[in-house]
Amino acid sequence: MMDFVEYTSGRWADYFLRCGEDFSSFWGNYLDEKRDIMFVLGLGFDPRMCSVIREILSYNGQGKRDCQVIAFNEGPDSPSITHIGRVQQNEQDLITLLKGQGTLKKHELVMWSDDGRRIGTIKAGSIFKEPEELIPYTDIIVDVSALPTSIYFPLIGKILTLIDINRRIEKMPNLHLVGAENPALDRIIRAEGIDDDADFLHGFSNGLEMEATGNIPRVWIPILGEEHEGELERIDDLVKPQEICPILPFPCSNPRRGDDIILQYRRLLFDRFKVEPGNIIYASENNPFEVYQKLIETIYHFNESLLPIGGCKAVISTHSSKLLSLGALITAYELGVKNKNVGVAHVEAMGYSIDEGAYTEAVKPENEVLFEMWVTGEVYANE
Amino acid sequence: MRDPRNPFLMRASEHIASDVTFLKLFAPGVFDLLPKDGLFEKLHFFQSAPGGGKTSLLRIFTPGSLLTLHAHRRNDDCEKLYKRMEDLEAVNESGPQILGVMLQFGRSYATLDDMELDTTRKDRLLLALLDSRIMLATLIGALTLKRLEYPKDLSKLKLELKPGLADHFNLPTLTSGEQLYQWAMQIETDICSTLDSLQPIQSQTLIGHDGLDIVNMLKPENISIDGVPVAQRVLIMLDDVHKLTRRQRKRLLSELIDQRNTSSIWVAERLEALGSSVLDPGSIHNRDYGEVVNLEEYWRHYPKRFESTVINIADRRALAAHDVEIESFTGCLQSSLDNTSLTSKFEEALEILSKRITDKYTSGRFIEWIQSRQTLDGTPRERLLAWKAVEILMERDQKKPQLEFDLPLSVGELQKRDDSDRRNDAELLLSQEFGLPYYYNFSTLAATASSNIEQFLAIAGELFEEAASAALVNKPHDLTPVRQHAILAKTAKYWWEEELTKRIPYPIEMRSLINAIGKLAFEETYQTNAPYSPGVTGIAINMREVRMLLDEEELEKRPDLKKLVKVLETCIAHNILEAMPDHSQGYQQWMVFYLNRLLCVQFRLTLKYGGWRRKKVKDLLFWIQDGFKPSSKNGARLL
Repeated sequence: MMDFVEYTSGRWADYFLRCGEDFSSFWGNYLDEKRDIMFVLGLGFDPRMCSVIREILSYNGQGKRDCQVIAFNEGPDSPSITHIGRVQQNEQDLITLLKGQGTLKKHELVMWSDDGRRIGTIKAGSIFKEPEELIPYTDIIVDVSALPTSIYFPLIGKILTLIDINRRIEKMPNLHLVGAENPALDRIIRAEGIDDDADFLHGFSNGLEMEATGNIPRVWIPILGEEHEGELERIDDLVKPQEICPILPFPCSNPRRGDDIILQYRRLLFDRFKVEPGNIIYASENNPFEVYQKLIETIYHFNESLLPIGGCKAVISTHSSKLLSLGALITAYELGVKNKNVGVAHVEAMGYSIDEGAYTEAVKPENEVLFEMWVTGEVYANE
Repeated sequence: MRDPRNPFLMRASEHIASDVTFLKLFAPGVFDLLPKDGLFEKLHFFQSAPGGGKTSLLRIFTPGSLLTLHAHRRNDDCEKLYKRMEDLEAVNESGPQILGVMLQFGRSYATLDDMELDTTRKDRLLLALLDSRIMLATLIGALTLKRLEYPKDLSKLKLELKPGLADHFNLPTLTSGEQLYQWAMQIETDICSTLDSLQPIQSQTLIGHDGLDIVNMLKPENISIDGVPVAQRVLIMLDDVHKLTRRQRKRLLSELIDQRNTSSIWVAERLEALGSSVLDPGSIHNRDYGEVVNLEEYWRHYPKRFESTVINIADRRALAAHDVEIESFTGCLQSSLDNTSLTSKFEEALEILSKRITDKYTSGRFIEWIQSRQTLDGTPRERLLAWKAVEILMERDQKKPQLEFDLPLSVGELQKRDDSDRRNDAELLLSQEFGLPYYYNFSTLAATASSNIEQFLAIAGELFEEAASAALVNKPHDLTPVRQHAILAKTAKYWWEEELTKRIPYPIEMRSLINAIGKLAFEETYQTNAPYSPGVTGIAINMREVRMLLDEEELEKRPDLKKLVKVLETCIAHNILEAMPDHSQGYQQWMVFYLNRLLCVQFRLTLKYGGWRRKKVKDLLFWIQDGFKPSSKNGARLL
């Protein structure tokens, strides 16, 4: 059970978020002084892969500019294999960007075991093993633009863990979570062949599967975006929630977006899942820290209400932008560290397809907004 | 949560939170598929595609369901169900007689196999985790069965352990529920937190087990509350066992077989493998385990039982709708094409067809047949069917390789050849040619479910949606055949275009394969002489070739075959293809792959089984790679 004092002093009650022009001005000023930076990014087909690193490297500045890139070995059956040309182009762009600026290290991440099971999410949690891998840097920048959810959750969770548990004995680096948002591009990239079963992300199951506490009610908080009906069904199968509290985007650039999402999922939400309309939560589509606040409030509220029967377990799932998913990540991380039963459920896809007809229009630079979430380090006085 | 507006949309039983609702919606006909021999004495397996009804079947034996059933045993909704459960000795007037311990498997077990440990250590941790979870599920179940509170009342429970085992686990011989809870929770917490930890794994401190030691102790005489045995029987039900890795599953099953004489255990899992064997070839059925019940296969053998079960399910769901009063779902579906607004369409089609036949067959050979049709009485639909049947027979006669003498064929000969199969062929071909409804009435709806209850609910839910909407605005809620056909076709199209593309692994290859089978079946079915009555709806591969697909060494050498196997297994696991191995024909054994019946609606095929075409593995590989190529006019197949 969470007490109210704990809730009001949440780790990210005060936060640092910069988007768009503010992103550029922040990094322009930040690199006035010497900074040893390690970039961590995924090597994928997403055209946004190099957007952030290109922008940050353009400010020059002094210090290391190393990069660790994660290459996904998805096996020969992945539909994404058709985008291999784009992956190669992105890799070439990255090499060119780093030329004369810093080192590039490539991690090959095997996504499937020999007997055909997904192991990428577990392996992602051990890309970084020791604090010594981070200590040489003042700043770690994890770019989620071309990283899948199942990879960046355990990856970021592990880096945060290494920083947090070593902070008392070593000077640990700042951690920035960055990415390039492009809703037009998100709309034309579609998951192909989702898995039969949802699962909890590695490092984020936080006791959700414990039989010993199987009698405690479960509350599911899906952060909704468009076209994820199959994933929602699978997660409902996994969680079997007693209550569902969907989060809809509002305020947002299209004020009707939340209504459109409700229309799209009306049968699923109200006829199958029997969601109480009063359980719907709204959070800004541009602010992951607001999502974090809403999640903390909701989980606190249900724990308090259900205290007579032992509180509740909370499951978060993200079906919207990567930016908002980071709000879920920091919530589950913070509450997990405090041994609260808060997990993150996810359904993986075999790969992704792109609507090539709409591609050229979608990738126009004006559609892209860069964001920066500074989640730990010198900006937080209480750490 | 809110009451259901359309109760058909509440699919799987585990999502129905209330035991009362679950029991109201549970159709006792499902018990037909339970093994008759040693139901609670042997190790039994239940296999099906997702939504086949495995979990519902297990849930009915859990303490919550049994207590609710006993409390509502006099209610109309539950009376029949209670009687069936009483016959099974699961419940009687004094209350539930079985302690049903249900454990649902998750993917976390498989994660154990990814730890950097040797195999023996992994297995010991797996067995320890299973032991602890089965123990915890037993504690929760036992307290629930006695209406006690978990974990508060654990001290009232006692489990008697063998002295050696008690020493081994450092527990007293007569262990209290609290001690067992602490013991099991510690094991579970240690293993789970290690598995989920983002910090370096400290596995050396984890405790492993050499076998399922605790399961062996879960006998009715060993478990008591306040000194009284909890139940007459203990039934352990392991659900979703397919979520283990293959190696873990094999280890678990060998443990369960070791205990077959001492414990009542049911194993439920999704059928994922192409091979049909459940266990190692060394295991001997009936000595090592009881029945392997494949739910869809059972219903396919007994389609009438399936139909009556889903009628019961549908009526129960319709009654549960809170906005409308629809007493019976079957009453929502008109079942006859006669005396409907289609009469003029039948007459129009009749005119076109009769003219076509009389214009084409001018020789004397068919003169008597044509005259018999011209003088036929009956409704326009009956006459239309008769004309189409005669056209099929004429085409067949014309396509015979060696024509008999061109003597007139008698009316008697026509009557001999014009059997019910021809009428079925005629109905399908007419439907396609003149846009007439073919998929309507309850039997058809039940058939489109492909023996899968969740699929039935999904399709019936679409029909109910429209019926309930009509009832809500006080309009007639019995759907016409035209509407039923349109709704089924739309549902099939959605399933094909949306669900199968987005929600199934290997979507591209799977669609290529299924599309090819569907097109082949369409091409074969809609020949003018309807040569493959009742129509083609599947393909078959020689069992010799199937064995090649099961040869792991061969698959390692052939990535294309490996992918084909994965695609076929995916199709079987999701009931997209209904596999029937060891089918004899022409002195050879075949594995027949029938299309899911909802896909038959998508490809405008018959819903009857029986028609399939022989294919080779190389044909399937071609289809996956390049798609289907229609046959040439001379009938040679261009694959």
